[in-house]
Amino acid sequence: MAAVMARLSVRQLSCMRGPALSANVNTNICDSTAKYPPILPSPTAKSRSAKRRRVAEFFDELRGLSVKDKLTSLTKFQRMKYVVYPQTFALNADRWYQHFTKTAYISGLPNKYSKSSHSIQDAAESGSQTTFSQIDDALFGEIRTLICDSLLQENCQVIKGRAFLYRALEHSIGPFLRNVASGLACILAKQSPLLRSSTFDSDPQVNFYWIRGKRNIPCGHRRGRPEPLRFQIDDRPHSQLRIQQQLPEFVPLGSEVSVEVPVVQHLPDRLPLFRRQYENSIYAGAKVDDPCCYGHTQFHLVPDHLRRDGVNKPKSGDHVEMAVRANAIASLFAWTGAQAMYQGFWSAEDVDKPFASQAIITDGQHFSFFCYQLNTLALTDEADANNTRKNLCWGTEGLRLYENINGNQVIGLNDDVIRLLVQFLLNGA
Amino acid sequence: MSRRLIHPLYQFGNPQLRVFRPGWFLSLVRPGKEQPPDTVQFRVPLEMTKFDVRNYLQKIYNVPVVAVRTRIQFGSNKKRNHLNQRVKHPDYKVAYVQLGEGQTFEFPNLFPEKEGRSAEGSMEEIQEKFMEDEKQRQKSDPRRGGVTEWFGL
Repeated sequence: MAAVMARLSVRQLSCMRGPALSANVNTNICDSTAKYPPILPSPTAKSRSAKRRRVAEFFDELRGLSVKDKLTSLTKFQRMKYVVYPQTFALNADRWYQHFTKTAYISGLPNKYSKSSHSIQDAAESGSQTTFSQIDDALFGEIRTLICDSLLQENCQVIKGRAFLYRALEHSIGPFLRNVASGLACILAKQSPLLRSSTFDSDPQVNFYWIRGKRNIPCGHRRGRPEPLRFQIDDRPHSQLRIQQQLPEFVPLGSEVSVEVPVVQHLPDRLPLFRRQYENSIYAGAKVDDPCCYGHTQFHLVPDHLRRDGVNKPKSGDHVEMAVRANAIASLFAWTGAQAMYQGFWSAEDVDKPFASQAIITDGQHFSFFCYQLNTLALTDEADANNTRKNLCWGTEGLRLYENINGNQVIGLNDDVIRLLVQFLLNGA
Repeated sequence: MSRRLIHPLYQFGNPQLRVFRPGWFLSLVRPGKEQPPDTVQFRVPLEMTKFDVRNYLQKIYNVPVVAVRTRIQFGSNKKRNHLNQRVKHPDYKVAYVQLGEGQTFEFPNLFPEKEGRSAEGSMEEIQEKFMEDEKQRQKSDPRRGGVTEWFGL
């Protein structure tokens, strides 16, 4: 008891003496501002704050790196990731994909297109400078002939009998789409200097890897710990146009859009989506050094199970529309995101100007048009905490290009669809 | 087709119009992991295919089925009997059925908590009282402090 008392008294004494002593030694402590190094968590400890510090240091290091090194560092860490297939069988995939990519879907095209399509005639008469008014009748006739010729080429000249082909769309509509896309780009290059310096990729590859959301690990030795959900898209568009300048934005970055991004509470396994582990890759169709590093338009062919003519199975129209929408959202997000990452943006360094791309998805007869504007890449849980930006996707339903092909004649060719096609390719000119 | 097809032997004079039902039994189960509202989970016999499940639900129950996904759940082989031989739990197939036409399904709460007391003098009330008394009687004497009944004088 006496020992305890003695120890206590010594401690009390030291406490009392400590401040008093220091006050005597350094009297003007209140005047000068003390310059201590900031208190930081240990970089090596096994604690949450230490982990946070390590992550922050890694992010700071990343910010100073070149684009190539950034991409390598961001994709180096391999874990199981959800593989998102743009052309999917899954039901209601568009809602899920919107959630994964934080995209709000707006039905109908952006103002730029809808306005001009309503008032093409007015614009032509008043002579106002819309992009489309630069096209004269001769050029339009040329485009019309090109489309008719390539349609007839595939439907009458190439296909002689009706033999069964596996994935017939790729053999019949694929060449048609290639002819139309490259031919249109060629013809319109006269009007648009942007297209003159563009690159046309046939059968390119587009990859994107990103992190969004969080889950608790259900079992194993890391059970109960939070883990980010990783996603990978490996897309094979039919063809794409890349340009040297960025496409103009559809709406300004800060503008309010009333459409909400749907939130899905379930894990992506329920879509169903499966997890695999392989190399993470981010690729916009060309290497980082390529001068044509911005996207213009992608052309997609719908998969064979989504044909509307009911060769395989009578599918409801809504199902086809849903799948096409999901395809557009996933593919365009992957492509536009990859372009943004090629400019050095990533989740901790969000984009300072919106990136835009367009897509045309077709089964030969029905053309769906989509515009995408990437407003944010900050999709991880930490970066998304107070981020009000969202990506935007505009789209139309399938518009019918022609009614039927009878003999050597295309019946009911829809000029509005051709006009829209031309407008899409002339965007940015 | 199902494992055994035993149809009643046709006797002369029986009605000509007979209905043949498959010898399969589907059980609707509560999903272990939460599913989207349009997905229903079933346990089905192993030899049933997804097309069988779709036809079964569409033709017999008129349920609009859009997509069926199946998997086979491995039954545990870990249990041992009293001779230390392995005892296999049977495998089963799980079918996830997605409903069409905007239909949703939520597994009902089969054992809801009862609220309030039952009416005075009713059969339930007497039963509850009896159960309470019986429980009281089964309890050991607290004064004995957990010592068994047969111990002591």
